[in-house]
Amino acid sequence: MGLLTAAAWGVAPFSLLGGLSLSLLVLTALKLREAKQRREYRLVSLLQLVTAGLLGAQQGELGSSLLQGLAVLVALAGLLQLELGEVTNLGKLLRRSGQLVLAALPMALVLFLLFPRLGPFSDLGRLGQFGAAATTGLSTTLEPGTIATLTQDRSPAARVAFPGGGPPPASQRLWRVLVHGQFDGQSWRSLNAGMAGAGMAEADIAAGPDPSLGAPQTPGATQVWLSEPNGLPEVPWSGAGLPLDRHLKRDGQGQLRHDGSVGVRKLYSLAAEPAPATWRRQAPTAQDLQMAAGTNPRLETLAAGWRRQGSGDAQAVGGAKAVEGAKAVEGAKAVEGAKAVALAEAWFRQQGFRYSLSNPLLPETAPLDALLFEQRQGFCGHYASALSALMRAAGVPARVVSGYRGGTWVVPLGGSAFLDLRQSDAHAWSEVWIAGEGWRTVDPTLWVLGGTTGGDPAATSVQAPSAGADRAGPLDWVARQWWGLDLAWGEWWLGFDQRSQERLLQRLLGPYRDWAGALLLVAVALTLALGLAAYGWLRRRGEGDRLQQELNQLLRSCARGGLVPMPGETLGQFGQRLRQARPLLGPELEDFVGLLQQLRYGRPGAPQQQGLDRLSRCGQSLRRQLRRSPS
Amino acid sequence: MSAINSPVQPLIAAIGQVLLGKEHQVKLALACLLARGHLLLEDLPGTGKTSLAEALARGFGLNFRRVSFTSDLLPADLTGLNIFDSQRSHFDFHPGPLFSQVLLADEINRASPRTQSALLEAMANGRVSVDGTSHPLPEPFLVIATQNGLDQGGTSPLPESQLDRFMMRLNLGFPARESERALLQGQALKATELASELTPAHLQALQQQVQTVHASPALLDYVLDLLARSRDTGRPGLPLSPRAGLALLAAARAWSLIAGRDHVLPEDVQAVLTPVCEHRLDGGQSRGEGGLSRRLLGAAGGLR
Repeated sequence: MGLLTAAAWGVAPFSLLGGLSLSLLVLTALKLREAKQRREYRLVSLLQLVTAGLLGAQQGELGSSLLQGLAVLVALAGLLQLELGEVTNLGKLLRRSGQLVLAALPMALVLFLLFPRLGPFSDLGRLGQFGAAATTGLSTTLEPGTIATLTQDRSPAARVAFPGGGPPPASQRLWRVLVHGQFDGQSWRSLNAGMAGAGMAEADIAAGPDPSLGAPQTPGATQVWLSEPNGLPEVPWSGAGLPLDRHLKRDGQGQLRHDGSVGVRKLYSLAAEPAPATWRRQAPTAQDLQMAAGTNPRLETLAAGWRRQGSGDAQAVGGAKAVEGAKAVEGAKAVEGAKAVALAEAWFRQQGFRYSLSNPLLPETAPLDALLFEQRQGFCGHYASALSALMRAAGVPARVVSGYRGGTWVVPLGGSAFLDLRQSDAHAWSEVWIAGEGWRTVDPTLWVLGGTTGGDPAATSVQAPSAGADRAGPLDWVARQWWGLDLAWGEWWLGFDQRSQERLLQRLLGPYRDWAGALLLVAVALTLALGLAAYGWLRRRGEGDRLQQELNQLLRSCARGGLVPMPGETLGQFGQRLRQARPLLGPELEDFVGLLQQLRYGRPGAPQQQGLDRLSRCGQSLRRQLRRSPS
Repeated sequence: MSAINSPVQPLIAAIGQVLLGKEHQVKLALACLLARGHLLLEDLPGTGKTSLAEALARGFGLNFRRVSFTSDLLPADLTGLNIFDSQRSHFDFHPGPLFSQVLLADEINRASPRTQSALLEAMANGRVSVDGTSHPLPEPFLVIATQNGLDQGGTSPLPESQLDRFMMRLNLGFPARESERALLQGQALKATELASELTPAHLQALQQQVQTVHASPALLDYVLDLLARSRDTGRPGLPLSPRAGLALLAAARAWSLIAGRDHVLPEDVQAVLTPVCEHRLDGGQSRGEGGLSRRLLGAAGGLR
C-alpha cells in the first residue's frame, strides 16, 4: 500500500510547477514518510489528488496531462486499496479506479465546458515564476556571434499549427520574437531586456484596443503555438493576430509577451485580426535613431553619402519629420526611408558579400566597419546589424528583429499538421521606418544570397546554408508525431477559454446575453442528472434481485455506523452482532432477518410478494432507526 | 431458530445424561446418523467414544456391537463366514459383527489395510459378499470408527479415499470442569441405563424426513461456492469431492431438522462444515481444530 502511493509520487513530480503545488508535493512526501496509520495514508492519497488537480490547472500539455491522469489513477488505486483492504492485484485496482474515473467523466465534462474561466484557477500559472533556468535560445543582446551558436543547434524551438488553414506561404514565414532597438555601436539590445514585467503596462496600452470580452463574433484561433522555454518572456508569433490568452500581451514594438514562467513550455493561441497590426504603424521614437556616433566611422561615411544622394531628391523632404527625436541626430536633414533602403540594397548587391556561418571574430573597435569593408562575410545577424546601423546613420529609423524564419511543415499521422521550428531556424532581419507605410521588414541576408526583398524567397531560401534542415531521423519522426498530438490537445484543451465558452453557449442558447442564470441552472441540472445516472448505473450493476437490494441498503446503513459483515458471516450471525451493537433497535431487526432468511432459503410456497413488501417495510424502518441513532 | 418441538430433543437430553456436557458433539453424531452417514471419532481413549456409540444405538433401540481392530483381524472376522453343516450337507452363513445396526470399530487404524477396506466397502454398499453370495446389511446401519490420534505412527492410517467414506470426523475432547465434576460425583448414567421410547422405525422415518428438508437455490449456491473455493488453486488443503458436497448438504439438512426447521440455512451448513469437511481437506493429518474449514468459510465471502 505504501509502495503504491510512493509509486504515484514518482509520477507526479515530472509535471511539477508552481509554488503551491511544490509545497504540497513536499508536504505530501514528508507525510508519506512518517505515515503509519490508515487515515494518514488516506490523507496522502487525497493530497496527491489535489496536487494533480492543481498541476492540471497549470500545465495543459499532452505529456503532463497524461502524467497527471496516471497520477490520479494511481492515487485512486491507492485509496481503493486502503478502503477495500486485501486486494493485492494491482491490475484489478487500476481497473476499478479507471471505472471511477469513467463515472466521474460526465461531471468533469460539464464542468470543463461550463465552469467560468476566471478566479484563481486559471491564473495559477502566475505563481510559477521560480526556476527560470537560463536556456539556450535567442538572446536579448545581439552581438555578432550569438546567432552563430544558435544556428548549429538543432533542438526544437517552437511548433505552430494553423487551425482552419494551411501553412502561410514561405515568404511570410518570419516569426518575430525580439526587437532590438538599442544600439551602442557594437551590440543591439532589446529594450526591456531581462525584465519580464517592467514596462508591460504602457506597452499594453500602446498596443491599442484590448481584446476584451465584448468583441462580437470573435473568430477562433488561427495560430496555436507551442514554444519551448527560451529564458525570455517574449514568444514567437507571426506579427499579426489577436492574443486569445490573458497571459499574452502585445507591445508597441511588435513583441508578444507571455507573463507565465519563462522556464516552461508555453502553449498559446492567436486569432486572426482584420485590421493590420498596430505596431507596424507605431511611430518611431528617438530610440530608433540612436547611434553611437564615431564608433564605425567608415559606415557613417557611407551612410552620409546616401543621405546626400537622398536629400537631392526633391520628394524626400523631411522623411524623418515624423520623428520628433530625429533632431537628436546630428545633421537634422534625413533621407526618405524607401530611398535609403533602395540605395542600401543596390550597394549590398554589388559588394559581393559572402554568407558564412563560421567567421573570424570581429574587432572590438568599429566591428561593423570591419564586417562591411574588410571581412565581407557573415550571416544574418551581421548583415541585419549592419543594415540597421547604416539606416540609422542615414537618418532613417531602423531596428533589428530576431526570431525564426521558415520552418518545416510536418503532417503527422495523427493530430494537427504543424510547422516545426528549430533553433537552427533562428534568423535576424531589419525593420526600417518608411514614412506613410510604417515599419517595413527588410532582410539584407536575402540581398547577400542574391534574392529579392520580400519577393519570391522560394527561389532563395535562407535555409540553404544551414545544411539540411529537413534531414529527419527516425527519432525526429516520432517526436513530430508526438508534437502533432500535443498541439491538437492544446488546441481544444488550452484553447477552450472564456470566449469559446461564450460561443458554445450562444450557439446552444441563442444570442442572449443574460443567460447566466439559465446557464447555472442547466449546468446544475445536467450535472445532477448525469451524476444520478452514473450512480444508478453503478448500483444496478452491483445488485441482483430485490432481496439483495434490500439487504444491500441495510448493509450500507450499517456500514455508515461502522458495522460491516465479516468474511464468512451469515445473515443470522450478523443480525445478532447488530443487535448487540445497537440494543435500541426495534424488533424489526429480527423480523427483517427472519423474513429475509425465509424468503431466501424457505420453501417457495409462502406468498412471495407479500413477504417482500413486509421485508421492504422492515428495512425502511431499520434504516430510519439506524440514521437516527448513529451509535 | 425457535425449535424445541423437534422429536429428537428428548433423545439429545437423554444422551446428554450419559455424555455430560457434550451436547454439541451429541447433536452432530445424531445428525450423522439421521443423514445415513458414518462417523469417525478421533480422540484419546477414555473420552466417551464407546458411550456415545452405545447411547446412540440404545436411543433408537438399535442393536450395537463393538469390534476392537487389531493388526491380525481378518476380513472374515468382520463379515462372518460360511460354515459347512455336515448333517444337512449345506454351507450356513454365520454373520460376523458387521451385521449389526450400530458397529463400533475401535482403533480402526490398527487393522491391516485389507480389513479396513472390507469394512469400508460394506459401509459404502450396504451389503456384504461372502463366497459369491451377497448378504444385505441391516437397516439402519451406522459405523462409528475410532482412531487414536496420538497413536497413528505405528499403524496403518486410513488413506484419503477411505476417509471420504466417513461423513463426519468428530473430536469429543475433554469435558468441561463442571461436567467432569458431575462425572466424578457419579451423576452420569451408564449407556445401558438410557431410557428412550424411540424405535428403529422412528429413526427410519426421521431419515426419510431429512431428505425432504428444503434446500433453496440460494443455499445450493452457497454450498457450490464453498466447494468451488476449496478447489481454487493456491488454497491450502485438498479439494472437496462431489461426495463431500453431498455429505455436506445431507448433514446440513439433518442439522436443520434437529433444529426443528424445514429448510436449510447457511448457519446449518456452517455448523456441520468442520466435522464434514476438515478430514477431507487435511487428508487425515489433523493440523488444527478446523482451521482449514474456517478459512474456507471466510473465502466463500458475502453475507449469506
